[in-house]
Amino acid sequence: MRRNYRDLSIQGKMAIVYIFASVLVLIVNLSLLFGINALLLKLETTYQDNLDLNEINMALDDVQNSMTEYLNVKTTDALENYYISEDNFREKIETLNSVVTNSSYSRIERNIKFMSEDYLDVVSQTIEAKRGRNVEKYRIRYENATELYNYIGSYIDSLNNQQFVNNSESFVELSKGLRITENISITVMVVVIISNIFVILRYSSQITKPLKELSKSADEVAKGNFDIDLVEAESHDEVGVVTNAFNQMVINIREYIQRIKESMENERKHKENALKMETHLKDAQLKYLQAQINPHFLFNSLNAGAQLSMLEGADKTYDYIQNMAVFYRYNLNKADSVITLKEEIDLIDIYIYILNVRFSGEINFEKNIDEKCLNATIPSMTLQPIVENCVNHGIREMAGEGVITLSITRTLDNICISIKDNGKGMSQETIDKIINGTYRNDGLSMDSNGIGIDNVINRLRLFVDSDDVINIISEGEGKGTEVVIYLPINDEGIDYV
Amino acid sequence: MKGKGKGKGKGIKGIEFFFVAYVIIVIFTALAGFRFVSVYFGSENKTQDSQTYDKYYVIISDNNQSSFWKSVYEGAYNHGLDNNVYVEDLAATMSDNYSKEELMKIAIASNVDGIMISADDSEEMTELINEAMSRNIPVVTLYNDALNSERISYVGVSNYNIGGEYGRQALSLATTEANNNPDKDVIDVVVLVNQTPTSGQMMVYSTIQEAFDNDALADKLQLSIEKIDNSNTFTAEETIRDIFINREAPDIIICLSELDTVCVYQAVIDYNKVGMVHILGYYESDSILQGIDRNIIDSTIKVDTTQMGEYCIDALFEYDKVGFTSQYFAVDVEVINKDNIDEYMEVTDNEA
Repeated sequence: MRRNYRDLSIQGKMAIVYIFASVLVLIVNLSLLFGINALLLKLETTYQDNLDLNEINMALDDVQNSMTEYLNVKTTDALENYYISEDNFREKIETLNSVVTNSSYSRIERNIKFMSEDYLDVVSQTIEAKRGRNVEKYRIRYENATELYNYIGSYIDSLNNQQFVNNSESFVELSKGLRITENISITVMVVVIISNIFVILRYSSQITKPLKELSKSADEVAKGNFDIDLVEAESHDEVGVVTNAFNQMVINIREYIQRIKESMENERKHKENALKMETHLKDAQLKYLQAQINPHFLFNSLNAGAQLSMLEGADKTYDYIQNMAVFYRYNLNKADSVITLKEEIDLIDIYIYILNVRFSGEINFEKNIDEKCLNATIPSMTLQPIVENCVNHGIREMAGEGVITLSITRTLDNICISIKDNGKGMSQETIDKIINGTYRNDGLSMDSNGIGIDNVINRLRLFVDSDDVINIISEGEGKGTEVVIYLPINDEGIDYV
Repeated sequence: MKGKGKGKGKGIKGIEFFFVAYVIIVIFTALAGFRFVSVYFGSENKTQDSQTYDKYYVIISDNNQSSFWKSVYEGAYNHGLDNNVYVEDLAATMSDNYSKEELMKIAIASNVDGIMISADDSEEMTELINEAMSRNIPVVTLYNDALNSERISYVGVSNYNIGGEYGRQALSLATTEANNNPDKDVIDVVVLVNQTPTSGQMMVYSTIQEAFDNDALADKLQLSIEKIDNSNTFTAEETIRDIFINREAPDIIICLSELDTVCVYQAVIDYNKVGMVHILGYYESDSILQGIDRNIIDSTIKVDTTQMGEYCIDALFEYDKVGFTSQYFAVDVEVINKDNIDEYMEVTDNEA
């Protein structure tokens, strides 16, 4: 039953509570009304005995009067009246009690009954005598009848009096009863109504309680607090449905917020990286610009030199100056962007050419490149400074032919770019310092284009978002150095394209 | 209900308890209402289931207000109840005052099962008794007989005994009086009788006379009768007062009824004749006993009234059973005077 009650709709529940309360009030009312009604009925019949007696008395009078009239005038009408009244009276006295009991009323009734029968006998004898015109006889009988008539009248009177006194007593009693019943009714009604109010309050609060809890929770949510206890749905009515939906909504919102937070975190990191990269690039550019006082002027001057050497037919000079120009243009144009490996490798070629012209072919540059990787992207001016380092710190200070090997290979996850020299190498301590970014060089060397190795490492780390992007390997003094860059390949193919 | 689990269980139990208590209250109040009404009905119904009786006798007395007759009625009533007979004092049920003859007529017309009446020797009474007998209503005369009627029995005191007793008492008083006042020629003794004296009263009178005649003081003793008008309610008292006003107060007054005794007793006090007038009373009502105790009434005749009532019932019952009964039932008589007043006073006190 409770299960069923819980499954009801709000309207159903409220209807049950109100109908129940009303039916109870109705029942109590009806029972009280029944009681009062019964008392009223009793009250109405209180004086019934007296009324009955009065009717008997009137019937008796009729008999006496009709007899007297007949004796006076002897008409058929009078005789008829007599018969009618006699019948009537006889009928009435038939109803009287004829048993002797300890109740004085019933004994008087009995006496009245017998006297009345006696009286009717005498009256009929009187009428007979009148018909027989026996004057003496009917006169005596008339006197006898009248005497009895008076006695009966007197008896009825005394019975009437006694009953009136008694009935008045019961009337007073009944009136008191009515008054008490009235008070009881009022008390009972008040009790029932107060109880009803309690029941209705109790049950309606049971109905609205989940609604209140729900609205409280909803208010919290509206204020932005999603860390609330979920509201428990106790019933299966509309409130239950809404509560469940609300709970689901809160859970979903929490999930969405979590996701948005995560993606925002990622984005923030990305932006931070980009910003750092930009900072480092700007730093590199600044240093570059400090080194190159006026690249445009230099570039244009080189172009003019190239044209002059062509006019003079000095092809080698032309090539040299042309390459110089390309190198500086590249530096000038691509310094702030991401370029392909191919472009970067071209730049290294030009750089090596320039160095070889300068140092009369001392540097042997070997390339071992997987062509598929050439389209991979890389921040500009990353490989060239490494090669520059190889030349400046590795090869130049050694005796014999320096060899620089560039190999680009592809593994499962990465593109490995290896730049290796056969120079003097470096100690592990130095390598660790460089990798950690704590290595301090005493100023830029004269042949540098202005970008240090730490700058390169930082930019690469930001670019691939990993610290393991670069590794420096050296087996010791005089055994050369290898710098390896790992560019990760993402799922979509070659990254940074 | 904030707590979950346990609290929830408690809440539901609480609501159920509340609900059950509420329903109980409502049902209880409704039942109480019904009960209240049924109690009212019950009290009405109780008066209706009454006991029924086999026979219905009526008693018609001289004066149903006097304690003498009340006592007689009580004796008859109680004895009647023992035999499942209801005895009614007919005059008490009527709102009007009727004479004994009228009451007799009413009793006959009411077709009662038996009549006890303090009768007299008048022709009318005799006729009425005979009529009742002819209509199969047995009549017992009580205290006062109707000698010539066909009544089945007479229950009463022996007037001869009473007369002798009065005579003895009167002589004793007269002797004392004569000794105290030797010069006194005449000792006046008055007997109060009805306007039309009953045969019983005359019997008492003549027995007293007889007692006086045989005494040594016979010459001095002068016995006379005073007729007391008892034709209606208050005349007796007036007539008695007239005795004290119209003539010289008698030395000894002999009363043959309770009412006369009380009236004389009061008149003696009122006319300051205490000690001069000796009263020989009748019956032992409280005021009469008081009078004896105060030395105003010299003695009184105690009739066993209860026995009188009982004998009436016995007579009617016997007649009903076997068709006849004894013609005469004599009721015991005792004299109460200063010597034995205490036991009667005690009895009365105890009864009170």
